[in-house]
Amino acid sequence: MRNTPENRIERIVTDLLHGRRLRLRAGDAEEKEAITAAAQFAAASQGPQRMSPAFRRRLAQILESTPKEAWLTRRAALVAGLGLAAGALTGGIVGRALEPAGRPALRAASSPVLPRNGRWTDVGALADFSEGQGKLVTAGAVGAFVFRQGEGVTAVSNMCSHLPCELWWDRGPKVLQCPCHPVSFFPDGKPTSPTYPLPSLNEVQARVSPEGRVEVLGT
Amino acid sequence: MTVDPQRPGESVAPSGSGEVVDLPSATRATDIALDELELVYAFIYARVGNRSDAEDLTQQVALKAFPRLRQGAPASAIRGYLFATARSVLGAFWSTRLGLSTAELHEDLALAVPQGAPSEESAERAQRILAELSDNYRRVLELRFLHGYSLKEVAAEMRSTVGAIKVMQLRALRAAAKVNPDA
Repeated sequence: MRNTPENRIERIVTDLLHGRRLRLRAGDAEEKEAITAAAQFAAASQGPQRMSPAFRRRLAQILESTPKEAWLTRRAALVAGLGLAAGALTGGIVGRALEPAGRPALRAASSPVLPRNGRWTDVGALADFSEGQGKLVTAGAVGAFVFRQGEGVTAVSNMCSHLPCELWWDRGPKVLQCPCHPVSFFPDGKPTSPTYPLPSLNEVQARVSPEGRVEVLGT
Repeated sequence: MTVDPQRPGESVAPSGSGEVVDLPSATRATDIALDELELVYAFIYARVGNRSDAEDLTQQVALKAFPRLRQGAPASAIRGYLFATARSVLGAFWSTRLGLSTAELHEDLALAVPQGAPSEESAERAQRILAELSDNYRRVLELRFLHGYSLKEVAAEMRSTVGAIKVMQLRALRAAAKVNPDA
């Protein structure tokens, strides 16, 4: 079958109608609107969906293994990189290790992300970072936007300081936008709107090595 | 851009901390969370169209959101928090699967994640979209998705060729993506 848009979409539609996972390949992004529409029609054809009893049991086990007393704050989660690592975790093991019981939930804004046993990760050559533009990088479980300033770099967390939503870089106004709320942040992590009482983004440790490589402190 | 009507510091975080959302009771926390996650599952399923991906993403939502919930808040706050997390997880899912940055996906996320109660979704929503399409486009999508016809069966029904129906299916899906059923 030739690799035409109609053939690619037909393959995806067939998979969906057979209850299979979405298996997308190079070039499929060109038809992202058609693909998301196909997924919605496939869901509609199967009627209202409920979790299977087995999946519900599995979720219950996961939920019951999360901390009940030592509640994990959003910022503690960021320190552990839980935001990005959540999919790989099997329970609240990390959460329990992070937050001592009785600790106040709210922490100071803009506290730096300092992973336990963190290590510096090479995220590219300084030349790959453009002045004035944010670049999303990952250092293990820590996600960050890195900004070049001359021969140096700064970095902030890619997680919104309010909800666990991953920010995106808006090249036009040069701000970090949150997909979940109408809020945005400057490259230094400060919120752009004075009307929202949001904390600043967490600072992420970043540096330039003598060899001209950008490194981020991650996990 | 789809915007969550809740603003920071309002219903999502009634305590005003902006940091964690409260759960009603420790003993019932799991049951309540599971009931809310049923809605999240339906919400996600309606967008990815298959069980395996929906289960993976719902589990991600639970892992991301549940550790940040705490005793004492109304169910509406928990729901708001879970759905905000679900939107984020769905965004990352499409971004990864399509190989696009979240920024490139941004406008499409708005289409894929409209506001509205989960109960109003799926079938009714699909019908509203179909109603906006031309007769041929509506027919090919109805036969293929709602009646489960194969391409060959659709071609026979519409007195056309498989190749032509394949192209029509693509165009119909593109057209469907442009319809805003919430308008």
